[in-house]
Amino acid sequence: MPVFKTPFNGYSVKFSPFYEHRLAVATSQNFGILGNGRLHILDLSPTPSPTPISELTFFDTADGIYDVAWSESHDNLLVAAVADGSLKLYDLSLPPQQNPSRSLPEHTREVHSVDWNPTRRDSFISGSWDDTIKLWTVDRPTSVRTFKEHAYCVYSVAWNPRHADVFASASGDCTVRVWDVREPGSTMIIPGHEHEILSCDWNKYDECLLATGSVDKTVRVWDVRSYRTPIAVLAGHGYAVRKVKCSPHHRNMVMSCSYDMTVCMWDFMVEDALIGKYDQHTEFAVGIDMSVLVEGLLASTGWDEMVYVWQHGTDPRAT
Amino acid sequence: MATTTQGASGPPPKPWERSGSSSGPAPFRPPSAGTTSDVVEASGTAKPGEIVSTSDRNNTVNTNAVGRPLPTRPWENNIGNSSYGGYNSGMTYNSGYGSGMYNSIGGGYGGMSGGMYGSSMYRGGIGGGIGGGYGGGLYGSGMYGGGGMYNSGLGGSMGGYGTGMGMGMGGPFGPQDPNNPPPSPPGFWISFLRVMEGVVNFFGRISLLVDQNTQAVHFFMSALLQLFDRGGMLYGELARFVFRILGLRRKSNKIGPAGPNGLPLPGPDMQNDQRLLEGPKSAPAGAWDNVWGNDARR
Repeated sequence: MPVFKTPFNGYSVKFSPFYEHRLAVATSQNFGILGNGRLHILDLSPTPSPTPISELTFFDTADGIYDVAWSESHDNLLVAAVADGSLKLYDLSLPPQQNPSRSLPEHTREVHSVDWNPTRRDSFISGSWDDTIKLWTVDRPTSVRTFKEHAYCVYSVAWNPRHADVFASASGDCTVRVWDVREPGSTMIIPGHEHEILSCDWNKYDECLLATGSVDKTVRVWDVRSYRTPIAVLAGHGYAVRKVKCSPHHRNMVMSCSYDMTVCMWDFMVEDALIGKYDQHTEFAVGIDMSVLVEGLLASTGWDEMVYVWQHGTDPRAT
Repeated sequence: MATTTQGASGPPPKPWERSGSSSGPAPFRPPSAGTTSDVVEASGTAKPGEIVSTSDRNNTVNTNAVGRPLPTRPWENNIGNSSYGGYNSGMTYNSGYGSGMYNSIGGGYGGMSGGMYGSSMYRGGIGGGIGGGYGGGLYGSGMYGGGGMYNSGLGGSMGGYGTGMGMGMGGPFGPQDPNNPPPSPPGFWISFLRVMEGVVNFFGRISLLVDQNTQAVHFFMSALLQLFDRGGMLYGELARFVFRILGLRRKSNKIGPAGPNGLPLPGPDMQNDQRLLEGPKSAPAGAWDNVWGNDARR
């Protein structure tokens, strides 16, 4: 299956919601601590060929890129979360010298996560290490709202895929908060883990289910209607869980990647929850995604500067 | 570039949109209709100053094949397909991102300079979006971060300034100019050396401070010792004075303390042992037994 080598350390990978063969990879030099960043746009070839994955284009930045999100409203627009605190909009239909088409520098520290609203499609949110979350729309040059409640870095933000106004944020203050853009404060505070929470994602089929990944090595699934205890605790990673992702095709399937260099697939409703473990990475696995358009197509990237795209159940390294 | 036809109708439907929610009622308020900006404004939760005029938003929201409003895409050029070729998309940001009245007013002139200085137009559009109108505030707070020379006095004749901005964009807008991405970001060694410079500076400052502190402690200690020294001398002088007033004289004690029988004790000072040095002494009966005094027979 396709493998792509990036010059920098991978941080995030996202499938395009428009084209099943396209994906974006955010990378940062020197593990994101210092140096530049590069945003890759990759194309998978539909038929077997010597180069199963090819680079459509790439964009350089002066700082590392920690996350990327495709626009849900048009197929050539994507937004990157940059370590200098700015969000940069890239339009693939513009000539390269006009990209980024817009820079939105408002965060005072690194932007660690960005997510495009999949239902209303005109807005996106960004979570930053300055403890705030900002809501942006494409028709404004400044943020629409700033959500400041977390006591520590916000590591992850995710829109509810079934509710246009609700999103969740995971923070280093060991809480997950659920927000409504119409409310002045958060509507729910879930003290989900004993340690920092690095990632959160909504279940695509049940708008009340939320998955979180934490430094305590577990993935937990929560029901926001009764968030005292988690629905499921998925243990099996050897180190902190860096990212969780709920499957767009199966209600009970969750994907996670971890600092133990593995990518795991879970079914949180069955007793033996771990249904797949991929150890193709030789360094921290930090970015994963599941294709919305092709069932079972997975992608991962990590600090070993590799991008893997494979079908669930197959070996990512097999050519 | 790549095909761009699909974008106008939104992405393909998500798999989960075909199935209903399988669980009970959610604890959320039902979603509001309208754009995110409208919803947030209607809720009144946005910070003051974050709201732009919405009076003419309809100008920028096109209806599409789906029949529902979608945000304007950069290639949806409501200025018209002019003959500027590849720069078209550059200037469409004017309409796409600049909401509000600016669009209807500035559209024509935007097209003009947009063709020539593609990026300048984009900035104009942004300014329009912020100012919400045309006039003094137009080029103000939005694009230039609220500061600098473009902030004031630019609103007078928009067209002319639009062009001027386009020409000058290489310089004064600084690194935040979205249309001037870093052409060649500094390489690893440059960044590394910058960091090393910082590290060296840091340790330089630290060592300087440590040095100064050491010096200060040294001065403090020597001053303290000097104080004791002089204090002792003062005390001795005063004491001598007081004793003299009282008529007391300290007994001069030039000779060492007497030993038993009035003999001076032999000591380290050799003047008491002169007889040893003057010559051999006739050995008394007990040989050298009485050399050190305290002869047992005496």
